[in-house]
Amino acid sequence: MNSGNHFLDETGISLRLSILDALREGGRGHLGPAFSILDILRVLYGEVLVHDPIEPTSKIRDRFILSKGHGCLALYAVLAHHGYFPREVLSTFCKFDSPLGGHPESATTSGVEFSTGSLGHGLSVGVGLALAARIRNETWRTYVLLGDGEVNEGSIWEAALHAAKHNLGALCVIVDYNKMQASGNSENVLDMSPMVEKWKAFGFEVHEIDGHNLIQIKEALSINKTVGAPRLIVAHTTKGKGIPSIENSSEWHHKAKIKSADVDLLVSELISQ
Amino acid sequence: MRQTALNTVYEMAQKDSRIVFIGSDLGSGTLEKMKAEFPLRFYMEGISEQYLIGMAAGLAKEGYIPYLNTISTFFTRRAFEQIAIDLALHNLPVRILASGGGMVYAPLGPTHTSIEDFSLMQSIPGIKIFSPADSVEMKNLLLETVEDPQPLYIRFGKGGEPIVTDADSSSVYTPKVFGDLASELLICTTGVILQEALKAREILNAQGIPLEIWHFPYLGGTSDPVVLNRYKDYKCILVAEEHIPIGGLFTNLLHLFNKNKLDSRSLHQVSLPFKYSHNYGNQADHLAFNGLDAAGISSRLSEILRH
Repeated sequence: MNSGNHFLDETGISLRLSILDALREGGRGHLGPAFSILDILRVLYGEVLVHDPIEPTSKIRDRFILSKGHGCLALYAVLAHHGYFPREVLSTFCKFDSPLGGHPESATTSGVEFSTGSLGHGLSVGVGLALAARIRNETWRTYVLLGDGEVNEGSIWEAALHAAKHNLGALCVIVDYNKMQASGNSENVLDMSPMVEKWKAFGFEVHEIDGHNLIQIKEALSINKTVGAPRLIVAHTTKGKGIPSIENSSEWHHKAKIKSADVDLLVSELISQ
Repeated sequence: MRQTALNTVYEMAQKDSRIVFIGSDLGSGTLEKMKAEFPLRFYMEGISEQYLIGMAAGLAKEGYIPYLNTISTFFTRRAFEQIAIDLALHNLPVRILASGGGMVYAPLGPTHTSIEDFSLMQSIPGIKIFSPADSVEMKNLLLETVEDPQPLYIRFGKGGEPIVTDADSSSVYTPKVFGDLASELLICTTGVILQEALKAREILNAQGIPLEIWHFPYLGGTSDPVVLNRYKDYKCILVAEEHIPIGGLFTNLLHLFNKNKLDSRSLHQVSLPFKYSHNYGNQADHLAFNGLDAAGISSRLSEILRH
């Protein structure tokens, strides 16, 4: 997955095509959120996390929780890319007996650390994981990816306060800051700015990056520390990144019905750039 | 009961490195010894029940057995979704030690009285619900359930209740049988209401009426083989529970009777009403007011017998 710094390189396009395949077969899905976090996940799994698709529950693996579970199409595409399950499984997305639901489940999908969907859960669980590593003096790390709409949830801030209280330096939290949520621009729904200052005030060591710049993502996620303040990466992203007609569109936050012909148009637009 | 539970957690922690205690702004002095001896397995966190459940789930996922303690309603009402998703959906062995079951906190008002906790917890697939009758049973329960792979909800009584269970009695998963085997009358109960049921039996025995009592420390124990084939032998079964009328022991028995084609006309109930109380006083006042004390239970049985 090392291929320069352009997010729409061969891998970036291939992963997006995988997502579009799943979307077509499932006939529904959260496309905008998936494209928003895809570049973060490809770098995370490709160049940062210690993980093993042959032994997905290896004790030494780094733990990653996709707290904004509705971005799961990106996670599925990246897990398939790394061999956690065959790429063909993506075409079963959201079908009755598929392992791949509209939100990720650890009970059904190899490589999914924790089931998420209802927002605001992942960071608390991540604090527990990081504390477990500390108790056992183990060196694996915990990563949690939050949505910027998700941080509306009060439970996120309960967990944030405690992560800082416990000096969980081995905990790295990423906020997918695309400034949009289901019903439109976040500033019109619940403005969470100033995002950086908020997290600093809650005791985090904050880094700000372009969430589609592969080099910046890798640099920010690779900082290795085990003590001191937990880290928070504010990743400036674009909802739907990679297909201009759906970028920054709340209409593409979630579609409950998608026609194959519409997906064809998206594929054409993606590969013609 | 609470003090016994916390002391037992500490005793278990001394022998078992998987045991973790997590409190939510509990009073000073709580488990000071455990905090001193095992600082990495003792957490006194802020007032943040949603976080507490998730954090405990994370620890349990990594092989620890967290024991959480705060007031019952703060878990069951406020952190319901975290209990359902973080614990039950993932089948993680977290133990919720719920202080102030039933009307223990009556003087503090309806925000603190735990009258629908069984109902809330029983609606979540995969959680086991316990309600011990005294501190001996509390200790036995914690010791026996340590290897249970599921999340557990454990309702505490007020504390200081007379010891009515036997220290080396049967499993806490199994109903405990008290009383007069020749009786046609049966009380099914759970938690500290066992205390009142036993006193009610004395009242009825004095009137020459035999009475049997089945105490269910584990609410899922209603279909236990020890009792399953015996429900039909009773003319009258009075379910006494410190809980709203639905979602508790009585509801479990109705389902059981329906499933096993038993005649549910034998079932009667005495419970808290299906409303939040605006009275204060103390737990005993509320038990008496709602017919859940010994006098109320015995007179209810007498009344049923007359009809």
